[in-house]
Amino acid sequence: MSRRVLVLAERSENGVADASYELLEAASRLAGGQDGVSAVLPVADASEAEGLREVLPAGELLLVEGPAHASPTADGTAAAVLHAREASGAECILLPHDPVGWDVAPLVAARLGTAAATAVSALSWREDGIAAKRSAFLGKFVQEVEAPGLPAVATVERGAFPAREPGPALSVRILPSPVGPGDLRSRLVEVRDAGSGGVDLTAAEVVVAAGRGLGGPENLDIVHELAAALGGVVGASRAVTDAGWLPHELQIGSSGATVSPKLYVACAISGAIQHLVGMRGSRFVVAINKDPDAPIFGAADVGIVGDALEVIPAVTEAVRRSG
Amino acid sequence: MNAVALVKQVPDRNSAFRPAGNWIDESSLGYGINDYDRYAVEAALALKEAGHAAETVAVTAGPADAGQVLRSCLAMGADRGVHLITDRAHLADPFFVARALADAVSGLDAGVVFAGLLAEDSGHGQVGGLVAGLLGYSFASAATGLHFRNGRLEVHRELEGGRIAVVELRLPAVVAVQTGINTPRYASLRGIMASRRKPVERVELAAPPDGPGLRRLTLGRPERGASAEILPGSPQEAAAALVPRMRAGAGVSFPGDAS
Repeated sequence: MSRRVLVLAERSENGVADASYELLEAASRLAGGQDGVSAVLPVADASEAEGLREVLPAGELLLVEGPAHASPTADGTAAAVLHAREASGAECILLPHDPVGWDVAPLVAARLGTAAATAVSALSWREDGIAAKRSAFLGKFVQEVEAPGLPAVATVERGAFPAREPGPALSVRILPSPVGPGDLRSRLVEVRDAGSGGVDLTAAEVVVAAGRGLGGPENLDIVHELAAALGGVVGASRAVTDAGWLPHELQIGSSGATVSPKLYVACAISGAIQHLVGMRGSRFVVAINKDPDAPIFGAADVGIVGDALEVIPAVTEAVRRSG
Repeated sequence: MNAVALVKQVPDRNSAFRPAGNWIDESSLGYGINDYDRYAVEAALALKEAGHAAETVAVTAGPADAGQVLRSCLAMGADRGVHLITDRAHLADPFFVARALADAVSGLDAGVVFAGLLAEDSGHGQVGGLVAGLLGYSFASAATGLHFRNGRLEVHRELEGGRIAVVELRLPAVVAVQTGINTPRYASLRGIMASRRKPVERVELAAPPDGPGLRRLTLGRPERGASAEILPGSPQEAAAALVPRMRAGAGVSFPGDAS
């Protein structure tokens, strides 16, 4: 059983966003091949997007064209996706599980009178709908859900599918956008860098990351000491920067920095998928956590199960003695 | 124009969760307000305090005992609550929940509706957006900042890689907030006392119809592809075993190493 699948393609500074290639792979598997995949790209001017045809390996590329798409907005993109859905007859719409998908997927799903399956890592067809594997309880559990009714909507977790190699779209269609700029309720004013505050986490060879399990900012000293002994820098999980224990620019994860050091030491970090996305390029990962079921141990090479407040100073001491 | 906060009652995040059937064993869990939703309530209260809303209204869908989360919102300072009463099992379908919340919100003269970005339990992260879609309101997710300018709402959205999108929304709007957008206040004793006199409207929801709607099939622990080697022993023993593995695995030298 295979049916047509539509993905939202996004542009990046130098072509097509990485997330789009993962969606194209997920869609190709679900549709039983590239032929069954449609990709929608909202554009202000189709002629300027023509080059992307060569690097978007879909069955058909649907350029939804109009001035409303000069910059992306939640409602503008949702309208383009729905328009392309009708034009393509796709029975499943795949969006990235990231800030773009969080904006667009529920607006699309609401118009289709259904809920989206979100944070999805595997997909299959059902008689009349889809089944999906997804992350629940902040990554603690994997849940299987069934979303009855077609067309279905899903947001796909980053990294769940390998990126498809760039290649040409088999055909291209230009569709006039169903919305004009005046129809939109939202407007993108600008995109800016939050700023890194001078610490270049992404260039560090050793990163020691602090998590909520440390209990409070008064316990960060031992993390700084371990980082000093290892010649590394301190990073943090989202919970730690949200709580104000460390500045936001030190956050590692999907909404913060992506790091790929030689050594990554996760201190009292449970390992929500949003964090793992930011550090899984690390060469060697050490996890210290009191919960043996913490997802971080699934992403680590070596782990110590124990109270981080005892284990971290012991590791610092062992590193110093080994020199 | 009012500020509305959509809130959910979830199991206490420090509970020992055990999968049972297609969900978790709920028999001995403590419950409280979803952490993300505390930020939504704070945002609604701040909007009123800044003079942009007449009243703050907290709305929840859940079983009878979910009234506790409305009480916490009222104790924080919300003016009134709306409790859409339904079985906990019916919360499995975000569309059913969003439909009910949208119906309630449509009668509240809402200017801005705040929701948490996601719920800690089911983690669907779409109820706010579905409500916006159903009502034709503007929508922005992952909000980390808010400013009011000339009757329009400017929202800072957190993108990937530490970038921020600045988005202007027409009102009414739904904003799904990230944690860290503000510092949620704690209820004062006075707030708790005052909350007892604040009104909560209770509405019994009809059971969801059979048919379209998300259904739970299974729940289990994540598969561990390449799982970590766990080092046994005391912290000192484990630490001693760790150091040579770190050196070999990472291929780095440390500042104290003899050169």
